[in-house]
Amino acid sequence: MKIHVYAALKDHFEPEFELQDAGHNTDELKARLQGINADATELLKICRFAVEDGFIDNEFKLSDHDTVIIIPPSSGG
Amino acid sequence: MIRSSSSLPAVVDSRGAGPTPAFTDHISSAPLDAAAMLKDAHHPGAGAVVLFSGEVRNNNRGRGVAYLEYEAHAALASKMIAQILEEAKAKWQLEIAVGRHRTGRVKIGETAVVVITAAPHRKEAYAANEYIIGRIKHEAPIWKCEYFEDGSHEWGNNCNCGPC
Repeated sequence: MKIHVYAALKDHFEPEFELQDAGHNTDELKARLQGINADATELLKICRFAVEDGFIDNEFKLSDHDTVIIIPPSSGG
Repeated sequence: MIRSSSSLPAVVDSRGAGPTPAFTDHISSAPLDAAAMLKDAHHPGAGAVVLFSGEVRNNNRGRGVAYLEYEAHAALASKMIAQILEEAKAKWQLEIAVGRHRTGRVKIGETAVVVITAAPHRKEAYAANEYIIGRIKHEAPIWKCEYFEDGSHEWGNNCNCGPC
């Protein structure tokens, strides 16, 4: 699975990377990422997730072919 | 399962002039010219035009700010801004709704975001404008990184407009 992260998440992960056994839903993916870098735990809890420019929730079944975008809280303006 | 649509209808100008430019027009890596945008935002049915220009100030919470860097997921942010504009147009019967946000380095005094609303009367134009900028700020995947005069930097989390 390809992972793209933005903003403050880039302090914890590479902007783009590939992950094996990343999980089948967003909760599993979050747990996997927290396992890689526990410092990102609190931030990951408040992030949104998207696949192909559409937001997803935990019911969405992730596949190894997906590119998952992890979106921290917005701070535009 | 939630998976929001990845295809949206083009934004149609209420004058019937056809689709407005693509979604990516809501995100700009080039400087924003608010005056030029205002010039294009007049309509014979609109007695009120409100322009909000969000500009970079030289301080935040007592610290000197050198400049800001904005990052965005451009496709998703543009799509969301287009949706927000369409919702506002429908809710307040706007003749025109424009929203555009900068990415990249934005210097002190430069414009980071512009929202223009045109309506028959000022009450609707003001209300819609505040609604649009509030939603862009809180929902669109756009992030601000503040670079301070002391050389440090800090991502987001600097909303000053109430509980988020």
